[in-house]
Amino acid sequence: MKLLLNTTIALAVVASPVAAAELTVITAGDQNMVDYVNQYLAPKFEQANPGNTVRAVGTGPGDAGSQKILERFDAQAKADAATWDTDVAVVHEKFAGPMVKAGYLEAYRDAIATGKLVTRANADNALGTEVKGYVMPMFNSQTALAYNPALVSNPPKSYAEIAEWAKAHPGQFGYNGIKGGASGVSFVMGWIYAFSDSDPKTLMYGPFDEAEKTKWDGAFASLKEFTKSATLTPGNAGTLDLLSRGEIAVGPVWVDMFYSWQADGRLPPDLKLILPAPGMPGQPMHYVIPAKAPNKALAEKFVELATSPDVQAEGIVKRFNWYPGIDADQVKAKLDDATWNKLFVDITPADLAEKGKPFPLAPYNTAILEAYEAKVAN
Amino acid sequence: MQRLLGPLLVTPALLVILVLFALPLAASVIGAFEVDGAAGLGNFTKAYRLYTQDIVFTALIVGLSALLVGLLSVAIGGYLTLGENPRAVALLRWLYRWPMFIPFIVVGQVLRTFLAKSGLFNTTLISLGLLDPMSATSYLDWRGIVAAFVWKQTPFVALMVSGAMASLDRSTIEAARNLGASRLRILVEIVVPQVTTTLLVGLVLSFVTMMSVLSVPLMINAQTPTMITADIAFRLNTYRDYGVANALGLISLAITGSVAWFYLRVNMRQAQ
Repeated sequence: MKLLLNTTIALAVVASPVAAAELTVITAGDQNMVDYVNQYLAPKFEQANPGNTVRAVGTGPGDAGSQKILERFDAQAKADAATWDTDVAVVHEKFAGPMVKAGYLEAYRDAIATGKLVTRANADNALGTEVKGYVMPMFNSQTALAYNPALVSNPPKSYAEIAEWAKAHPGQFGYNGIKGGASGVSFVMGWIYAFSDSDPKTLMYGPFDEAEKTKWDGAFASLKEFTKSATLTPGNAGTLDLLSRGEIAVGPVWVDMFYSWQADGRLPPDLKLILPAPGMPGQPMHYVIPAKAPNKALAEKFVELATSPDVQAEGIVKRFNWYPGIDADQVKAKLDDATWNKLFVDITPADLAEKGKPFPLAPYNTAILEAYEAKVAN
Repeated sequence: MQRLLGPLLVTPALLVILVLFALPLAASVIGAFEVDGAAGLGNFTKAYRLYTQDIVFTALIVGLSALLVGLLSVAIGGYLTLGENPRAVALLRWLYRWPMFIPFIVVGQVLRTFLAKSGLFNTTLISLGLLDPMSATSYLDWRGIVAAFVWKQTPFVALMVSGAMASLDRSTIEAARNLGASRLRILVEIVVPQVTTTLLVGLVLSFVTMMSVLSVPLMINAQTPTMITADIAFRLNTYRDYGVANALGLISLAITGSVAWFYLRVNMRQAQ
C-alpha cells in the first residue's frame, strides 16, 4: 500500500509539466487595472507561455491600494517567509521608494530586454528615492484642467489666471480637495509650485529641508481664500460628473480618465483640456517584482511582455489613453497617426515637456498635505 | 467532567472575543499614546490641531441626524398606533421599513445624484415652479450626509418605537380619548413618555452606527469639514499614520461613550 502511494506521488511529480505555474499579479488602482491584466495581458502571456496561468488581484484605487500591497510585503518580511505570495505588483510612484528602501524588491530592469527602452527620469528616481533598476513604468499619467467651452470661451492658462477667474465666477471652478483622489492633490501641488516661496525644483528634486515648510504660508492663505469661491467635488469622478452636468465649468482631472470617459460617452464630446502654467504634476505606475517572488523568471517575462512596444501601443495608449511607460518614439512607431494624435489633441508634446511636472518628494508631499489640512481645511 | 464542561464550552467564544476584539482594541488604544516609540500625547495634539473642526462637525451632524431620526420615528410609530385610516396605516407599515435593507454605500450613491445641483431633487422643484433654476444649489455637503443618515436610520428606530407603542396598555389611550384629548396630545403626553426608554436605546444604537459610517461621507462629501471616519481613512492611506488614526478612533469612542453614559443615567433615574 505504502509502495503504491509513493509510486503515485513520484509519478505525479514527474508527470506535471515543470514550468506550469500560476503567476500572481496584484495591482493597485481602479477595476480597469484588474481588467487590463485579466482581459488583455493575461491571455497574451498565457499564449506565449503555454501551461502557465495569470491570476490578477486588485487592491483598490488610489494610494490606499498601494498601501495595502506595501503592508502585505511588510507582513511577509516580518514573518520571514521564504517565498512570498506575489510575483508581480503594480504600485503608485510614491510607494516604489519605500519598497526599495526596505529591500523588498528585485533589481530586474537590466535583466529584461525592454529595460533599455525606458527613458524617463521618473523610472530612475521615485520622489527622491533612487529606484533605478527596480521598477519598470507601466504608464505615465498626467493631470490637467478640463473645461467646458460652452461656459468658458477663454479658459485660464495659468494658476494666476485660475485664481482671478474663480473669483469672478464663484462656484464655477470645482476640485476635490485632497481627500477625494489625486486630481485634487495634484491641483494643490501645482498651486504650491506656482505661489509658494519655495523653489519648485527643490520640492520636486530635493534636497529635503525642514526650513522649506515655512515658505508656504502665503500660498496656503491664498488657496484658502480661493477654495471659498470654488466648489468642492466628491472625488476624481465627482469632478467629471459635475463638469458633464454643467454644474462647474472648470476642474482638474486625470487626462486618461477624461479621454476614456469621453470615448464611452460619459462626458460631452466638446469638453476640452488645458495644462496651466507653470504646470501640474503627473505620475507613473510601476511594475515591481518582489525579491522573494515564487516565480521570478516568469515574472520577468511577464513584465517584459507588458512593457514591449506592441503592448504599450495597443494596450496602454490605444485602449486606456495613458501616456506610455517606455520611450514614446518606440511606441509611436507601432501606432497609426490618428490614434497617436488623439493623445495629444489638447495637450501637445511640447506642453507636456514644459508643464508636465512630477509630484514633490515624498517628505514634501506629506508636509504639504498636512499643511493643507491645518491651514486650508481646518 | 460535568464541572469541566461549562468552561470548556465557553472557551472558544471567549478566545474569539479576546483575540479578535480585545487584543486589537488594546493595541489601538496603546498605539494612540505612542509617538515614535515613546509614550506621549503627540497624536492627540496633532488630531486636535488638524481635525478640531471635523470632530465638532461629526458630533453636530450625527447629533442632528439622531434628533431628526427620533422625531420622524415618533411620528411614524404614532401614526401606526393612533392612525384612524386603516389603509393609510397599512401602507405606511408596509413602506417605512424598506430603507433598512439598503446598505449605506447605496444610500450614498443614490443621494449623490439625487441631491446634486442639477439632480432629480432640484429639477423636480424647478419643474414644480418652487425653485428658480438660477438659485439652485448642490446639497452634497453636511445636508446630504444628514439626509442619508436620517433616511437610513429612521426605519430602524421606528420599528423599535412602534413595537413598544403597540404593546402599550391601550386603556390609557382610550381613557385620554374619552376625555376629549386630540391625537397629537395623546402622542406627546401619553404614548411617548411610556416608550422613552425604547426610543433612547434606538437612538443610542443609531448614533453609534452613524459615527462609524465611512461610505456616506466619502460618497457625498469628503471635503472640509468632513467626518472623523474619512479623516481616519485618510491618515492611514496617505500617511501610514496609525498613531493619529488611533487617536481619532479614541476620540470618536469618547463621543459615543458619552452618549451611552447619558443613556445609562436616564435609565438609572427611571429605575429609581
